[in-house]
Amino acid sequence: MAVWDLSVMVEELGPEAPPLTVSVTSDLHIGGVILKIVEKTQIKRDWSDHALWWEQKQQWLLRPAWTLDKCGIHADARLTFTPQHKPLRLGLPNGVTLKLRACFSSPVFRTVIGLCRVLNIRRPEELSLLRPVEEKKKKKDKEPEEEVYDLTGVPLTSGSVPSLYNGMPAHFADSPQTEAVYKMLSFTQPSPAPETIAKMYRPASVVDKAHIHSRWLDSSRSLMQQGVQENDRLCLRFKYYSFYDLEPKYDVVRLTQLYEQARWAVLLEDIDCTEEEMMLFGALQYHISKVSQSEPPPMTSCPAMDDLDSALQSLEVKMEGESSSMDMLETMTAPELHDYLKIFRPKRLTLKGYKQYWFIFKDTSISYFKSKEEGFGEPIQQMNLKGCEVAPDVNVAGQKFCIKLLIPAPEGMNEVYLRCENEKQYSQWMAACRLASKGKTLADSSFTSEVQSIQAFLSMQRSNPSAQTAQSDESINTHSLVSPRYHKKYKAKQLTPRILEAYQNVAQLSLTDAILRFLQIWQALPDFGVSYFVVRFKGSRKDEVLGIANNRLIRIDLGVGDVVKTWRYNNMRQWNVNWDIRQVAIEFDGNVNIAFSCVTANCKIVHEYIGGYIFMSTRSREQSDVLNEELFHKLTGGHEAL
Amino acid sequence: MDDIDAMFSEMLGEMDLLTQSLGLETLPPELPSSSHQERNFSIGFTDLNESLNELEDKDLDALMADLVADLNNTEEKLTASKSTPSQAQLDPPSLPPPLKDCAPSALPAPPSTIIPTPAPPAASFQAPPPPQPSKSLPPEEIEAQAKSDKIKLALEKLKEAKVKKLVIKVLMNDGSSKTLMVDERQTVRDVLDNLFEKTHCDCGVDWTLYETNPELQIERGFEDHEYLVEPLSAWTRDSENKIVFLERPDKYAVFKNPQNYYLWKKDKNALKDMKDRDKESLLVENFCRASIIVPDLEGALFLKEDGKKSWKRRYFLLRASGIYYVPKGKTKSSSDLACFIQFDNVNVYYGMEYKNKFKAPTEFCFVLKHPQIQKESQYIRYLCCDDQWTMTLWVTSIRIAKYGTTLYENYKAALRKAPGTSVWTNRTVSTPSVPSPAPKAKAANGHGPQAPLQPTPVTTIISEAQDHHGNEATPSSWRPTAAAETVRPPTLPNAAVFPPPPPPASASPVPSPRMVKRPPAGAHQHCDTPPPPPPEDYLPPPPDDFLEPPPDFVPPPPPGYRLNPAACRDIPPARPPPPGTSASPVPAQRKIPPPPPKRTTPVATATSGGNMS
Repeated sequence: MAVWDLSVMVEELGPEAPPLTVSVTSDLHIGGVILKIVEKTQIKRDWSDHALWWEQKQQWLLRPAWTLDKCGIHADARLTFTPQHKPLRLGLPNGVTLKLRACFSSPVFRTVIGLCRVLNIRRPEELSLLRPVEEKKKKKDKEPEEEVYDLTGVPLTSGSVPSLYNGMPAHFADSPQTEAVYKMLSFTQPSPAPETIAKMYRPASVVDKAHIHSRWLDSSRSLMQQGVQENDRLCLRFKYYSFYDLEPKYDVVRLTQLYEQARWAVLLEDIDCTEEEMMLFGALQYHISKVSQSEPPPMTSCPAMDDLDSALQSLEVKMEGESSSMDMLETMTAPELHDYLKIFRPKRLTLKGYKQYWFIFKDTSISYFKSKEEGFGEPIQQMNLKGCEVAPDVNVAGQKFCIKLLIPAPEGMNEVYLRCENEKQYSQWMAACRLASKGKTLADSSFTSEVQSIQAFLSMQRSNPSAQTAQSDESINTHSLVSPRYHKKYKAKQLTPRILEAYQNVAQLSLTDAILRFLQIWQALPDFGVSYFVVRFKGSRKDEVLGIANNRLIRIDLGVGDVVKTWRYNNMRQWNVNWDIRQVAIEFDGNVNIAFSCVTANCKIVHEYIGGYIFMSTRSREQSDVLNEELFHKLTGGHEAL
Repeated sequence: MDDIDAMFSEMLGEMDLLTQSLGLETLPPELPSSSHQERNFSIGFTDLNESLNELEDKDLDALMADLVADLNNTEEKLTASKSTPSQAQLDPPSLPPPLKDCAPSALPAPPSTIIPTPAPPAASFQAPPPPQPSKSLPPEEIEAQAKSDKIKLALEKLKEAKVKKLVIKVLMNDGSSKTLMVDERQTVRDVLDNLFEKTHCDCGVDWTLYETNPELQIERGFEDHEYLVEPLSAWTRDSENKIVFLERPDKYAVFKNPQNYYLWKKDKNALKDMKDRDKESLLVENFCRASIIVPDLEGALFLKEDGKKSWKRRYFLLRASGIYYVPKGKTKSSSDLACFIQFDNVNVYYGMEYKNKFKAPTEFCFVLKHPQIQKESQYIRYLCCDDQWTMTLWVTSIRIAKYGTTLYENYKAALRKAPGTSVWTNRTVSTPSVPSPAPKAKAANGHGPQAPLQPTPVTTIISEAQDHHGNEATPSSWRPTAAAETVRPPTLPNAAVFPPPPPPASASPVPSPRMVKRPPAGAHQHCDTPPPPPPEDYLPPPPDDFLEPPPDFVPPPPPGYRLNPAACRDIPPARPPPPGTSASPVPAQRKIPPPPPKRTTPVATATSGGNMS
């Protein structure tokens, strides 16, 4: 057998070092080649992560038992001996960049699984990697390097479930730095400055959105094969909008990142919503950022913690049991508010101004009397606020603190305005009205927090947003909570009451519930979860848009934006890709055949999207913990899988 | 601005003085008395005597038995806790109940539990402050403990004593009526179950408690989860409103034929023979995920203009967050939409005979209003649709948007009460097994998302189908008689030849070269499928009269607006759930995920990493 020379680059020898030459025969297997290389370098280190990369063919030589002959390697091959795991800058859904080691040799699908294991995100099949939008390098002297979190020191474990320490995966407990990373992952980020939102790239049209989707990496090929280099930046995003088995107890990071992705989708108008919905999103963001600052960190549970939890809970119950009779007594003697306020009832034909009376707020009713002295007699009127609508009518600068009430009655809604003297009075009465409208009394435990949140909102309105020095928790600029469209439409001051109005309905939610609510409303939007691609249908002369959602395909007119047709996966019989002419053909029940070629994206991406969604729908409870990787590749891999 | 405000209010103040001097001090109409007062009154009677006289002997006995039991309870409790002030239970409230035909004192107010359901948490807030039962805590700790226990007990009893109860008269569809007592902790579902016991009806899912308001000419079915006393408390004292017990196929039609609501834009012919597994997957998609999906509904409706008798046509869109319209000169894009109404504080009603009352363009009107509003008011929104189906679609979709998963839970609860329902409905019960984040949705049989597609074994289907037929024979049912069903043409010949198309999952996994694939592959696949089962197991082509968009329910006929249940009989029956038509037995293959797309080009552009072939 003839001996010939094989030249191999070894990075560890230094960038300038000439390629290493090893003499080999064609029947030498890859493992033997590696052994020879390692011996020749005379460097003592752990080489176990290293593998051979074949430059010209853009492929890894990962089978140590295969001979050079079998691999088709001859003397002209340029090989590189390089680690399979390299650092990668990963853009997370929350906008933070995290540096960590990723596998550059396995298919992206498995690389993502590895990344998610490190980040403690369950259901990694729903995520994938996206090439970032090229940043325009207009300004050379851009702002100081953003803070980059570093997790490269964390070894990638192959174990399935990371063990927990202190409520977080053990590998985060190594150092304060890694603990900070976990905090970043599991906590929502503070609201961005309005300028930040305005400056960020926003897709202006459906075509822009289609271009974003052309950036997905191919799940069946490795990072290296797709030209990703060490230290490159990639974005980790939820790709398939089919979130399976969300469980707040185990999914702290997953929920947080999902919320962040949804929040940015709303803020950057990536998904359209109405003004009312935007206000509700704003209110939820405000609430979430407020609660996450005050609530103790959400801990991932571990068995021991669970025990402790339940023990604590039973202790609480016990203590409650002991004190509850007293509590009940207190509930029975309901507290009340009383004060001089002014009332105004707009009538059809009579114009009447505000008149002052002595008001008593008790249970869910307001009664008023001519004066304090008559407060023990029959009231002039009693109004039960249960089921009524409460709206603020406030101008802090003008010292106007009115509560607008719409009280239902058989004849219609009675419109009543209450005018308070000052902020303190207003926030108490307003809180009482709000609770009463939901059938709660002043005795309800949420009264105090309701008063505080109203005061917080008033202070938001008082402070001049431009003069704000630092964004403290008490004074979030309302422009941070809505998309730029509303920056133009409303002043921050005008937005405050709108958001406050929506906030009433969410103010009592816990952090997790608020996040879940945000996600629910997001998922209920008509355009939710549709990924767009510009395609050319067979037999059509113009470009059209294909929307891919978790249950259907949508054909959309590019010009008008109207939905032309939808096809559901349920009726799908099969689909094919003709890789030669780059055409996807799909057959549906009832002999419906469609075919299209992809304009904005590689048809592999479209193909993978459809196959991916079908894969997502095959997940079920029994096999919940086993990810059927083979099936995924079968459905999405196209020809390469076979 | 503020200056103007100030000036204005000053002016208003002066005018106010003027009006006062004229002695025109007008007080607003009295609001309904606070709802937390204990009240016992009857609804639907002109006075109590009548109400008691109208009781059938049996009912009266039952009612009396209830009351006696309550009294006994009271006594026991009284002896048990001395600190309980007795007058709280014995004295009827002094506040006037809102109904003129109230019977406040005739019925003793017993602190009873008619049903064993625990009081909703709300009850604790509603309890008004009672007279203080205890003066002080004794110094001895043990004694204090004992005493506080007693106080606790007493307080609980007190709360119970404050449970509001109503005697209601429910009209039956045969013109008779039943009288029963409901307390505020009873849901509509509980009351329905109660009525099921009393009436020996078929207990089907369509039975509804219906509210009619003759003054506004509106009506709606109470939802099963509502606490019946709550909406009834909004009725005025001179109310002519009625409660009717009848079958309304529109109540849960969306769960029987979700495609008519969720795919209404599609070809009607394709919808009517939708396979059960597709219906199930529609339900799973829209009701069993993290977020409820409302039907994608939009279209031009007539809106009655405020205070006028004219109707204006506007383009409306339904979203989970409310109804929106497209403002003049704007597009349908989400950010341009103007909000018409949100559902938090309104209920949806059918408007009856509005052509006459309001000069509506058609009779197909629906109404949105706050439940407390009982008389005509500018706060009521009237909408009018082109046809009946559009109205059904809107009303049902609004209910979905308003109640969300609750509606589906109600339906599943109703199904459990209904014996011998059709195959399709029976099998729907298994859908909660589908993974959903709601912890309530228990995995009944552990099936995953694909699992509901699994056909029930043929034998069960047949037996269930027989059940179904038997069920249909019951006279009170609205379903077509068995005879009507036999009229249906037999299965189309080719339906027997080609089994129902398999789900994508069963598409042939055989790779075929190039783009030439379908015919051979298809043929191959058909050979693979087991021999077609007896034709009855396939969906029979529906009879001709179903070519129209399925009128899943027909609202009560216009003549005699007053809802006459007997008259409803004449209405063509709604389409029943297809009996035994479902579940094409394509076994085994169901679970196979869809095959990989055909490998059409033998030569890859690049080989995959590490896999040198």
